[in-house]
Amino acid sequence: MIKVIVRGLLARKFRLFATALAVVLGVAFMAGTLVLTDTLGQTFNDLSAGVYKGTDAVVRATAAFNGVQNTGEQRPFVAASLVRRLSRIPGVAADEGSVFGYTRLIGKNGQALGNPAAGAPTLGGNWNQVAALNPWHLVAGHAPQAAGQVVIDKKSATDGHLRVGDTTTVLVKGPPQRVKIVGIIGFGTADSPGGASVVLFTTPVAQRLVAAPGKFTSILFVAKPGMSQQQLVSNLRQALPHGLEAITGAALTKELQDAFARAMSFFNTFMLIFAVVALLVGAFMIFNTFSITIAQRTRENGLLRALGASRRQVLGSVLLEAVAVGIIASLIGLAAGVAVAAGLKAMLSGLGFGLPGGGIVFTAGTAIVSGLAGLTVTLVAAVSPARKAAKVPPVAAMQEVTAGSTGYGSKERVMVGTAILALGVAALFTGLFTSVASKVLVVGAGALLVFFGVSVLGRTVSLPLSRAIGAPLPWLRGVTGKLARLNAMRNPKRTAASASALMIGVGLVGFITILASSTTASVNRTIDSTFAGDIVIDSGGGLMGGVDPNLARQLGKLPQVSVATGVAVGSMQILGKVEQVSAVDPAAASKIFDVSPVQGSIAGLGRDGIAVYKDVAAAGHLTLGSIVPVLFRDTGRQTLRVALIYGDATAAPAPRFFMGNQAFDANFSVRYDSQVFVEKAPGVSTAATLTAVRAVATRYSGTTVMDQAAYKAERAKPIQQLLMLVYAMLALAILIALLGIGNTLALSIVERTRELGVMRAVGMTRHQLRAMIRWESVIIALQGTLLGLIVGVFFGWALVLAMKDQGVNVFSLPVLTLVIVVVLAGLAGAAAAIWPSRRAAKLNILHAIVSE
Amino acid sequence: MATIFTPVPSGVVQKTAARTVDAVKVYGRGQVEVRALDGVTVEFAAGRYSAIMGPSGSGKSTLLHCVAGLDNLTSGKAFIGDADLSTLNDHQLTILRRDHVGFVFQSFNLVPTLTAAENITLPLLLAGREGDQAWISKIIETMDIGARLQHRPDEMSGGQQQRVAVARALASRPEIIFADEPTGNLDSHAGAEVLGFMRRAVDEMGQTIVMVTHDPTAASYADRIVFLGDGRIVDEMHQPTADRVLERMKRFGE
Repeated sequence: MIKVIVRGLLARKFRLFATALAVVLGVAFMAGTLVLTDTLGQTFNDLSAGVYKGTDAVVRATAAFNGVQNTGEQRPFVAASLVRRLSRIPGVAADEGSVFGYTRLIGKNGQALGNPAAGAPTLGGNWNQVAALNPWHLVAGHAPQAAGQVVIDKKSATDGHLRVGDTTTVLVKGPPQRVKIVGIIGFGTADSPGGASVVLFTTPVAQRLVAAPGKFTSILFVAKPGMSQQQLVSNLRQALPHGLEAITGAALTKELQDAFARAMSFFNTFMLIFAVVALLVGAFMIFNTFSITIAQRTRENGLLRALGASRRQVLGSVLLEAVAVGIIASLIGLAAGVAVAAGLKAMLSGLGFGLPGGGIVFTAGTAIVSGLAGLTVTLVAAVSPARKAAKVPPVAAMQEVTAGSTGYGSKERVMVGTAILALGVAALFTGLFTSVASKVLVVGAGALLVFFGVSVLGRTVSLPLSRAIGAPLPWLRGVTGKLARLNAMRNPKRTAASASALMIGVGLVGFITILASSTTASVNRTIDSTFAGDIVIDSGGGLMGGVDPNLARQLGKLPQVSVATGVAVGSMQILGKVEQVSAVDPAAASKIFDVSPVQGSIAGLGRDGIAVYKDVAAAGHLTLGSIVPVLFRDTGRQTLRVALIYGDATAAPAPRFFMGNQAFDANFSVRYDSQVFVEKAPGVSTAATLTAVRAVATRYSGTTVMDQAAYKAERAKPIQQLLMLVYAMLALAILIALLGIGNTLALSIVERTRELGVMRAVGMTRHQLRAMIRWESVIIALQGTLLGLIVGVFFGWALVLAMKDQGVNVFSLPVLTLVIVVVLAGLAGAAAAIWPSRRAAKLNILHAIVSE
Repeated sequence: MATIFTPVPSGVVQKTAARTVDAVKVYGRGQVEVRALDGVTVEFAAGRYSAIMGPSGSGKSTLLHCVAGLDNLTSGKAFIGDADLSTLNDHQLTILRRDHVGFVFQSFNLVPTLTAAENITLPLLLAGREGDQAWISKIIETMDIGARLQHRPDEMSGGQQQRVAVARALASRPEIIFADEPTGNLDSHAGAEVLGFMRRAVDEMGQTIVMVTHDPTAASYADRIVFLGDGRIVDEMHQPTADRVLERMKRFGE
C-alpha cells in the first residue's frame, strides 16, 4: 500500500507542490513568527540582563497610576538629597541618582531624529559616574564632563550623521539647547535600546533639562561584597520615606524584559493571525485537491477494492498521502520559517528598531507547534475526501468514470451551515459588544466560524451566484462565455471550495479597508468640526514630550497672528479613572476654541479650575463650582474646582477634561506643548500667516506646521501606512487562493479532456478554449470576492459599531476601493487561468477523443 | 506502390470531397516504428457515403483522422476540397473543421453542459453565425430529435445522443462528414436507426459521409467501401451488402 502511495505522490509532483504550497506558507509564517519572537526575546533578555548586572537595587517613587495610552507607570521624581542619605544604609557600596525623560536630538540635516509619537521613544538622561551602574559603554570619544557636552547612542549617530566633535541641538524642557557631542555610546551589543534615541548629559544638566533641578528619576545601588540584592533591598526599605519603593536589580531587569515582551506581543499576534489565515486558505486548497483527485481516481480505488483492499485500507491510503503531504510541506515550511524570521528581523531593523546582533533561536517548541499545525490542517482537510474514497464500491473499477458529485448541499448541510454562521455572528457580537474576558479570542473564534459557516453554505449559494455573475457572459462572449458559465455551474461544490479560499483573503481585505476608511472618515469629520483656529503646529512629541511653550508665546507676538495657544497633555487620576487632561492659555483659547459652554467660561479657568465635558460632569454628578479630588503624578492628591462645563467635546482642546496653564504648571513638573493652535489676524491671508508661522517654527525642529487640509493628511498617514502593511500580508493569502483556483481548473481540465477534445474537433479555436477557461476562472474568483466582500463589510460594520466609544463614529464604505478590489480579483482570476488554459489549449485532440 | 484500383468509377464525372496522395503516417522511431499509413492514395467523392474498413491496426482510424485534419501526415498530402491540409496551421485547420467538416465520434460526442439544440449548433455558435434555420429544422426533423432539443446529453439514450451528434455534423452544411465508429457503442437497433439517418442525409440532403467501421452491417449502408490492411489500401467494394463485406473481411484472417 505504501508503495502505491509513494508512486502516486511522485507521479503528481506538480499538483502536490501546488497543494502543499499553502501549507508551506502557513507553516513558514507561523514558524517565522515564533523564531523571531524567541530570537528577539533571547537577545533582548541577554542584553538587559547584561547591562543591569552591576545594579543590585533601585529606589524610585511608587507609581501613582498607569498613564493613558501605554505611556507607562507614572512616577514622581525622587529628591536628590536622598542619594547621600541612602548611601549610609548598611550594605551599600555605591549609589547614584539616575535621570530619564523626553529629549529629542536634531540630526546633521536639521531634522529631529526618531518619531516618539508613533515609534520608539526619544530619551535623555545622565551619564552615571559609577561604572557598575552605567548600562552604557563608550564606543568613541569620552564621557560628558561639562555642561554643553553630551554623548549619543550609536544608532542616532549613524541615522543623524553625527560624529564626535559635532555641535548640534537637542529639544528638551524649555528652549532648544546647543550641545557638543563628545562621545558615542552603545547599549550592550546593540547600537541603541530597541531603537530609542538616547542623549546623555552630565548629571546636573540632565536634572535641569530632562527632569527638574534637585530631582532624580530613580536611585541605583551597588551592594557591598557578600550582600545579597534581596538583603540590600530590605535594608533600603526600612529607611525609605513614604511614597518610595525599592526593588532588586534582578526585578528591574525582569520589568524591562516584560515591557519588551509586551511591546512585541502586538506584532506577534499580528503575524500569527496571518499564519492562521494562510493555513486556513491552505485547508481549502487541500480539501479541493484531494476531493478532485479522488473523484478522478474512482476507477483506481474501485480496482484496489476489487483486488481486495478493505475500505479501511483505502481510507488509510488517502490519509497517509495527506500525512506525507503534510510532513513534507511542514518541513519545507519550517525551513522557510527561519528565512522568514531573518527577513522580518532585517525588516524590523530597517524600520528603525535597532535590534541587537546574534543568531537565530530555533526551539523545539517552534518546530513542534508549527509542524503540528501544518500536519493537522492537512489531515483534517483530507478526512472528508478520504471517506469519499473509501465509499467507492469495487464495481466502480468496471464502470465509466463519472466525474465527481455535483452536490448542491443537502438540507442538513444548509441547516448546519446556518447554525455555524449564526454561532459565529453571536460570538462576534458577544466579543465586540459585551465585556467578556479575552475579547480577542472570542472575536477571532467568531470570525473563523463566520468564514467556516459561509464556506459550508458555499456550495448551496454557488450555483445561483455563478449563474448571476456569469449572466452577462453569453451576451459578451457568445458560446465561449456561455460554456464558461455552465462549467462554473456544473460542480458547485468544487467552485465553492475554490472560491472559499479566496473569500477569506478578500474578506479580510474588505474588513481592513472599511475599518481604515471609517477611521479616517471619523478623524476627518472630527477635524472638520473641531479644527480650531487657522493653523496647527504639531510638536511630533506624542504623549511623552513636545515643543517648548515659548513657541506659542513667540507666535502670539507675530503681527500676522491674532492669538496662539499651546496645548499640553498629561495624565491624572480623576473620578476613579486615569484620564488625559489638556492645558491651554485661557485668554487665547477662549478666542480659538468654541466649546459651547453650558456653565462657566474658559476665561474662568484659574489656578485650581478644571473644565469638564457635560456628559462626564453628569456621570460624575459634577456641577459648576463642585470640588473634585484629583491625583497627579508630581503633586499627589489635590482638589480642583469645576470652572467650566462645556457642551462640545470635539471642538474643545480635549474631549473630557482640560485646564488652564496655571493649574497645569502647578501640578506638572515638566511642560511641553503637544500642539500649538494659531488664529490669523484679521485681514491677513492664511498663506501669509503660514509663511510667518513657519519662519518661527523652523527654529523648533520636529514640528510640523499645517493648515486644515495638511492636518487631515497627517492624521491619515499612519492609518494608510498600517493599511499598506496589512494589504501586503493579505496579498499573500490571496495569491495562495488564486493558485488554488488555478490548481482546481487544471484538475477540472484533466477531467474534461474528452469534451475539450470534441469541442476542439468541431471547431473551437485555441483562443476560444483559453477564453472559456479564463472566464470560468473569473467567475470563480468573482464569486469568492463577492462572498468575501459581504463578510468583510459585515465585519467592518460590526467593528466600527463597536468602536463608537473610541471615536470611530462614521461608517464609511469605500465604494471605489471595493470596486477596484472586484476588478483586480477578476483580473487575478484571469491570471490564475493562464497556466491551466495554456495546457488545455495544447491538448492533443486525438488523444482526447480516441477512446481507450 | 502502384495503385491497383481506380478511385473514381470510369465514365462518371464526380467532384472529390476529400482525398489523400501517397499518405504516410509513422508512429515512433527505430525499433518501435509503426507505419500506420504506408502510402495511401484515395479519393472520397462528394455526395456519396463511403466506408473505410479493415482489421484492428489496419490504419483505418489513422486515415480518417489525417484526412479530417485531426492529425498530420508524416509525408504525402491530404486534401479537403481544394485545401491542402499540410499547408494549414492549427488555427486554419480549426476554422476549416468548424466551417467545412462535420464529425461523429464513437462516444462522448456531446458537450455535457449544453442542451441538444445547443450541441447541434455548437460549430455555428463557435463561428458566431446563425446558420440556416430552415436547414437545421429539416435536419432535426430528419433525425427525429425534435422532442429532445432542450434535453442535456445525460437525459438522452445513446442512440439519441448519436443522432444529435449526426445532426450537429450536418448543421453547418459541411463539405464532408467524418464518422468514427458512430455505432460502436450502440445496440443493434439504435445503431441501425443512426445508420439509416446517415443514409438519408446522403440520399435526401446530398451530404458526403466518410465512415470508419469494423461492423459489416454498418458498412453495408455505404455506397462504397475501401478496405485497408497494414496501412495500405487492399481492396474496394461498390454497392456492398453485409454478406459480401463479411466474406471479404474473413479473408483478412487468412
